[in-house]
Amino acid sequence: MPRLRFVLRRLAFAIATVFVAITLNFFLFRVLPGDAVRNLARVPHASPGLQHALAREFGLDKPMWEQYLIYLRELAHGNLGVSFTTRQPVSGDLRQALLNTLPMVSLGTIFAILIGTVTGVVSAWRRGTVLDRVSTNLAIAFYSFPTQWLALVLLIYLSNWLPSHGMTNDFLVDPSFWQHELDVLRHMLLPSLTLGLTLYGEYTLIVRSAMLETLGEDYILTARAKGLRQRQVILRHALRNAMLPTITLIALSLGYIVAGAILIETVFSWPGIGSAVYEAVTKRDYPMLQGAFLVLTVSVVFFNFVADLLYARLDPRITE
Amino acid sequence: MSQLRRVAVAIVTVMVAAALASCGGSNGDSSSVLRIGTSSGISSPNPFVGYNQDDYSVWTYIYPTLLQYDTTKSGFPYAGNFARKWSTSTDGRTVTFHTVPDASWSDGTPLTADDAAWTLTMIKKYAHGPTATWAGSVRYMTSARATDKDTLVVTYRRPVASAYSDVGMTPILPRQVWGQYATGNGKQLTTFENVPENGKPLVGGGPFVMTKYTKDSIALFARNSHWYGPAPHISGFGLQFFHDEDAMITALKTGQLDAINEIPPTSVSSLQKAGQHVYVGPALSLRDLIINSDPNKTKNRELLDPQVRKAMEYAVDRDAIVKTAWLGYASPGASLVPAGNATGGTQWHDPDISPLPFDIDKANQILDSLGYQRGGNGIRVADGHQMSYNVIFPQDEEGAGDRAFQIIQRGFRQIGIAITQTRLDDDAAFQAIYGGKKSGYQFDLAMWDWFPAADPGFILDAMTCKQYGDWNDSGYCTKQYDALDLQQDRTTNASQRQSVVFQMQQMIYAAKPYIILTYDKRLDAWSPKWTGFVESPQGFFNNFSTQSLLSVRPA
Repeated sequence: MPRLRFVLRRLAFAIATVFVAITLNFFLFRVLPGDAVRNLARVPHASPGLQHALAREFGLDKPMWEQYLIYLRELAHGNLGVSFTTRQPVSGDLRQALLNTLPMVSLGTIFAILIGTVTGVVSAWRRGTVLDRVSTNLAIAFYSFPTQWLALVLLIYLSNWLPSHGMTNDFLVDPSFWQHELDVLRHMLLPSLTLGLTLYGEYTLIVRSAMLETLGEDYILTARAKGLRQRQVILRHALRNAMLPTITLIALSLGYIVAGAILIETVFSWPGIGSAVYEAVTKRDYPMLQGAFLVLTVSVVFFNFVADLLYARLDPRITE
Repeated sequence: MSQLRRVAVAIVTVMVAAALASCGGSNGDSSSVLRIGTSSGISSPNPFVGYNQDDYSVWTYIYPTLLQYDTTKSGFPYAGNFARKWSTSTDGRTVTFHTVPDASWSDGTPLTADDAAWTLTMIKKYAHGPTATWAGSVRYMTSARATDKDTLVVTYRRPVASAYSDVGMTPILPRQVWGQYATGNGKQLTTFENVPENGKPLVGGGPFVMTKYTKDSIALFARNSHWYGPAPHISGFGLQFFHDEDAMITALKTGQLDAINEIPPTSVSSLQKAGQHVYVGPALSLRDLIINSDPNKTKNRELLDPQVRKAMEYAVDRDAIVKTAWLGYASPGASLVPAGNATGGTQWHDPDISPLPFDIDKANQILDSLGYQRGGNGIRVADGHQMSYNVIFPQDEEGAGDRAFQIIQRGFRQIGIAITQTRLDDDAAFQAIYGGKKSGYQFDLAMWDWFPAADPGFILDAMTCKQYGDWNDSGYCTKQYDALDLQQDRTTNASQRQSVVFQMQQMIYAAKPYIILTYDKRLDAWSPKWTGFVESPQGFFNNFSTQSLLSVRPA
């Protein structure tokens, strides 16, 4: 029963968070100074009435509360609205952007988790050695590099060998399925590598810290006293117990995967959700912004919820 | 752990394989497809939705226009496109175009003068709603009709000086595609996506057809075999969109692109060192310091005094701005109409208007003579308050504009005027300039730019009273100027119109609602493997004409 109560409580909290986020997303962009349609209306051949025509078309001439109620009503029907800039349904644009983002960000995140875990374990295992110092300092350095700077450095030095922009080479003539897949993968390498390098440092530091804590426990001493080999001690006893904070970090990272990586997608012109948000912000495309932030909110809240459940499973004491 | 290791090995193997594959180059590239990089991109292929410069250029290449500008000649005279002959009646109210006989759309449907008449009539019909983005092109038009399949007659309520530029440069749309959306309230004209579908290219009538469009990524074009003009040398072209200019420059250097339509000044030398061809020419754009000219401004009213403005202009070191902010790729500006403003063989820029020289002593003399003495901190005092002003600085101007601001700030400081920068995004900046009908224009100073249309009517009209709260960003408004604007707008004789246009430029220069800082240089770059680009103040990929991509070819 305590566990069910815990789950229900977390679920209610998640739903409330999403609703608050929906409301904030709606009002946040509208209270900023400026006008959503002015830029769209400032085109050379336009009539002075274009601004009013656009405001009418987008419903921006209605009172704010009425716009909010319409937004909630449409959202309840699964309608995210129509983009101000493309006049196409936001759901379609967002779906495509998400499909573009997920493989690239997933590859980068997997890379970060693998490298971060290995370097974290090795650092803890070889604590105080040159290897540990080099690995830890490198992790801190990559963790602190500005993402766009690292992206540009990689782009400048590696673009002779790897594609530096977009998702595919659209100038390929009638590519086969595998040619196309390989082409996408090649285009994915630089942005994924950038993301992986900026993320792995965090994993290294957390795994190292958790490992060091675990290596000081009595049961590790016991394992050693039993005459187990060092590798068995590290992998079977220390690493498994040190994975708890790492799993939490992974769960939280997954929530942010759908946000894409705005800076990385911008530098590499990757047509993902990060680029879409960037474009929407600069164009004040309210429906697109609301849709993108809604997806991000739901994703983060969902994976937080999953992390809570996972934690409750791994450590039942927190449900009491 | 062994499972983890297997996954790691698999991923590393795939990455290495992909990297190796990439070293082999991209098989299947067609060497006669021109790959153009752009940071503008297509906002929408729908002419009633799109608003980017690239959108207009794309429509020029995929849809027929009646006329175009010949950018190979001085003054950009009109050249035929779908129209081969054109004339205006003596009363200036009727314009007749004789179109290419036996032309057809890319789907084989006949392309006639009736398509042009239908497009213009449709734009007029929905001008207050869905087609408002092109409404300016049909101002004062009363009818557009095809008297036979090769003759279009456009009539006007009164003469319109820019009729050839307006009607002549409007894309003609295929009725067989768009007709179904031009019904009822016409809303579907804007919701129609207008992209290639099911492997079929967009129906068009220009030299190229759009074969593929991926939003925020790429647009591909192939030669239109039904095009009524001479066949292009290239089999097609692609527009690759970049969010980051450094990435775009790198792509050109590494051979992933063939050409870039507009590069930043900071990249010129590195591209030249890399063996790329860089074009430098006059652009159709200017940078300005706006001084609020609204007579109803309540604070810091000394800024309304033309003498104060004159002193401020003396304190602007334009040469330093050109050299430091623009690395030499700009020229000092003076008139509202830049040198690139020419149409129909007529140059609209008044060459007799020159900027005041940078002269701090003269500026100080003027302010001293007005009685504005310096306070303890060196800042002058006017009417009991310090001459300290805020400069609204929109996002558009970041970069070179920041460096220009610092130079202006330094010059102003020397004459006892302090300025501070307020950064805002473009929408917020305009709201800070124009606070609405009640408050009007209450700001002091602002910096911004103009990328005017080829015809001077647009930029001149932006300074009129009727553009308050719309294009007018200075609060300048005089009856005399408005009367001249009306006159130039209806004067169809080019030399008579030129004299009115010059007069208007002189008025603006004297009143100084703007201190024109610089005129931009147009900077484009392409690989030496290509030749035949035809340049214009809007670059080689422009909506002035189809000349450039008709003549470009592998070197």
